Amino acid sequence: MARTFTYSALIFLSALFIAPFLWTLITAVKSDAELVAYPPVFWPETWHWENFAIAWTKHPFNIFLQNSVIIVILSTIGQLFSSSLVAYGFARFRFPGRDAIFILLLATMMIPWDVKMIPLYMEFNYLGWINTLKPLIVPAWFGEAFFVFLLRQYIMTIPMEIDEAARMDGANAWQIYWRIHLPLMVPALVLVGTFHFMNAWNDYLGPLIYLNDQSKYTLTLGLALLKGLHNEADINSIAAITIILCGPPLALFFFAQRYIMDNALGSSVKG
Amino acid sequence: MADAVTARRPSRRRRGAGITPWLFISPWILGFVCFTLGPLIFSLTMSFYDWPVVGERTFVGADNYRTMLTEDPQFWHSLGVTVKFAAIFVPLNIAVSFLLAVLLNTKVRGTAFFRTAFYLPSVISGVALVTIWSWIYSQRYGLLNYLLGQSGTEGVNWLGDPGWAVVAIVVASLWGLGGTMLILLAGLQSIPKELYEAARMSGVPPWAQAIHITLPMLSPMLLFTFITSIISAFQQLTIALLLTEGGPLGSTYFFAMYIYETAFRFHDMGYAAAMSWVMFVIILALSLLVMRSSSAWVHYEGEMKGKGGTDG
Amino acid sequence: MKRRTVIIAPAILAATFWGGMTFAQDKVLRFATWNTSPESIAINQAIVTKFEEANPGVKVQVELYGDGFDDKLTAAMGAGNPPDLMYMWNYPAYYQSLMPLDDMIARDAAELNLADIPSGLMNGGLIDGKTYGMPVGFTTHVIFYNKDLLAAAGVAEPQAGWTWADLRAAAATLSKPDEQIFGFAVDAKPDPFDFEEFFWSNGAQYISDDGKVLDGVMNSPEAAEVLDMFGDMIKTGEAVALNIGDQTSGSDLFKAGKLAMMEGAMWNKGGIDESGVNYGVAVLPAFGDKPVKSTINASGISIAKDTADPDLAWAFVKFFSTPEAVALRTNDLPIRTSVAESSGMMADPKLAPFFAMLAVADGTVPSFLKNPEWGRIQENLSLAIEATMIDQGNAKAHLDEAVSASARFLK
Repeated sequence: MARTFTYSALIFLSALFIAPFLWTLITAVKSDAELVAYPPVFWPETWHWENFAIAWTKHPFNIFLQNSVIIVILSTIGQLFSSSLVAYGFARFRFPGRDAIFILLLATMMIPWDVKMIPLYMEFNYLGWINTLKPLIVPAWFGEAFFVFLLRQYIMTIPMEIDEAARMDGANAWQIYWRIHLPLMVPALVLVGTFHFMNAWNDYLGPLIYLNDQSKYTLTLGLALLKGLHNEADINSIAAITIILCGPPLALFFFAQRYIMDNALGSSVKG
Repeated sequence: MADAVTARRPSRRRRGAGITPWLFISPWILGFVCFTLGPLIFSLTMSFYDWPVVGERTFVGADNYRTMLTEDPQFWHSLGVTVKFAAIFVPLNIAVSFLLAVLLNTKVRGTAFFRTAFYLPSVISGVALVTIWSWIYSQRYGLLNYLLGQSGTEGVNWLGDPGWAVVAIVVASLWGLGGTMLILLAGLQSIPKELYEAARMSGVPPWAQAIHITLPMLSPMLLFTFITSIISAFQQLTIALLLTEGGPLGSTYFFAMYIYETAFRFHDMGYAAAMSWVMFVIILALSLLVMRSSSAWVHYEGEMKGKGGTDG
Repeated sequence: MKRRTVIIAPAILAATFWGGMTFAQDKVLRFATWNTSPESIAINQAIVTKFEEANPGVKVQVELYGDGFDDKLTAAMGAGNPPDLMYMWNYPAYYQSLMPLDDMIARDAAELNLADIPSGLMNGGLIDGKTYGMPVGFTTHVIFYNKDLLAAAGVAEPQAGWTWADLRAAAATLSKPDEQIFGFAVDAKPDPFDFEEFFWSNGAQYISDDGKVLDGVMNSPEAAEVLDMFGDMIKTGEAVALNIGDQTSGSDLFKAGKLAMMEGAMWNKGGIDESGVNYGVAVLPAFGDKPVKSTINASGISIAKDTADPDLAWAFVKFFSTPEAVALRTNDLPIRTSVAESSGMMADPKLAPFFAMLAVADGTVPSFLKNPEWGRIQENLSLAIEATMIDQGNAKAHLDEAVSASARFLK
């Protein structure tokens, strides 16, 4: 009984969540007339799959893809490493000013982007990083408050006995972090990696501000180019590129979720 | 368990942190100084100036703040819209995410599929997401009104009716709760199964298990989602900017949007900076409140509190 | 080992020397553009390539800001790192960072052949008596109409000198709500810059000439009359309301054959051409016998005030204004009358109305030039327009609200 309820709830809800995405897919392959038809067309007469290729060639999306991939991979590696280091520091040590600095860290999450944008731009300009991919990669190597917070909370669910046992065996702080906590943190790390990947992949304002010429543009900027001024939007292409854009984060997630759901912790605590 | 820790703790070194923790958090400190502190100080300075994008900059002291709080009806209006949105969005965000996480935590077949389905929307970038929802909400050609029409009810002008526009944005925002759901799911999955086993064997009913095991063990993650939801609710910009443009009739004119327009449309950087700081203070105050209350309801298994625990 | 060093060292030296020389020779001009359609981007690139061919050693870096043009420009200027050249229309916002061009224009007047450029276009870049941009293209506003829909409904095609009463009568006949076909479209959230043309045509304006008075101007009876007319058109079903809960644009509807008449400009024309609709173009209708006015959207090209090489930048600007370059820009209308005539544009029935509108567009000054705080005042005006369209009337009340909400910006 409970099982049927669970299943039906899940199916109904997932339909709700997927529907807009399917709608976009259909919109990508419609003809112009079908786009403004009423009642809405659910099954286009012909599925214009070529719209995808057409959309891709409207702008140098190959180059955009390349840039997006570079940014995302490099920054994700940096993020995983730095955020976990910092989170460990906050979670497993007691030192003067720890709580105050942590509040400060939380506070930085609340700073609106508008506030930092122009001063940051000036700083990067001074460093000569404007129109390079650096402003989009380097900051990730210094830890981001959101992920540090997340990982710190996660580490705090790991009982102290584990650290104790390791210390009894003569491990120092770094080894505890590297050998014990990192493996235990895998679910949270995969979460962080997936989130960060997605954020970096979908980032629009950053690339908009820091990149000037087309050879450095990312995919999101390419999508924005399709939107255009004066409402002359190319709906087919926007839908097509949107679908394409969703691909990699989704694929990553699909493979990554196995690790998020790993329950290694349960077996390591023996009462 | 606590006894075991005390009994085993070796009294080798003097208790004191040493430099180790600082080494661990140094990346963040460095990043903070380089990429945050400087810009922050700069923007704070800007807020005390009449600072147009191009042209003369004049020092005006606290004038920006004064105007904002006493002479600017738009400030209060946009703040009101934002608070209203947060009040609806935050509880719903946590509740629905929690529900979905619980559903997914049961042993059903095809969890991978369902998880992906729920997570899918949060993967879609802001610009694309808004375009999709505008096609759904469109009064005349939209999917939603069409479906409602088929089922007998009349469609609503989701984006054109001042009363409904905020609801429309709440729903569109909730659609992206896949991330929150995942966080809670990861938290749920990390609760040792033994606890539930022991409870079941002692005859504790499921609802009591939920209250005494699930919620406390999940509370660190709940705290996290609570605070981050508040933060993102107050910073809500993209959806309002692109979907409703603050309308209709200003009913979705969020505070973040007002700041954005002040900076990029009215080119009044000083005023925008001042407003950003006010927003910052509000969010900070709310978060501190939540954090302070957390000691009452949040339970950490591995907390570093007071004198217990290890040193570096 | 030594032999290799003997060969390698001078090779490296030569390479750096040679590389350095080429590097020093390649001057780079940054050019910010707002084009997004592949066609217009290609046109820009064609002009740029021609310039580079004529000026070896110079590279023009075309930067596509697209939709985020103002955002990027604001950020770049705010940080003191603007591009050397940029498209420009919002002179009041940026002129303080732009280089006045009057001296260079005067010096090269003969080469520029200023008589060939209508003064209305040159004035577009005029702030406080100084010129901050050379016009590169323009459009005025017209009415696009679907010939097939008009023929099917037995409605005569619009003629020069037609009035809003004529348009409304036609729209009433053309609207078929059950088929989701509409006679006309009224935008509830128009760009006030464009919308002012309706006020002008009825003898009204947004703000007084000195930019100091709103009351009695923005909410004058003539002003209210304009808004009420549009609101009424929505009420009677003659027109469909755009941008109330819907982001479908007028041109989307027109291209799909669902809209009989639509107010538009050159930026709509390309898409409409592509759609294959059998269409015609007419001048804007008049309010009774008052002279009809259209907005001129003139885009210009400006030079950043502190650019490294002003002469080179100016050379580019001049090149962009030569008849050859002007003729290449087919995405909007040419600034040079000579090009317009020689290319036969003025005789083209689909383009002639644009020029006709340009001809009568003297004496109107867009409001955004009159008051530095116009941006904020405009927000209130937009709300008033939107409210009237939602209310389908009641313009005076909404305009009064806009005037009182804007009072604090007039100080």
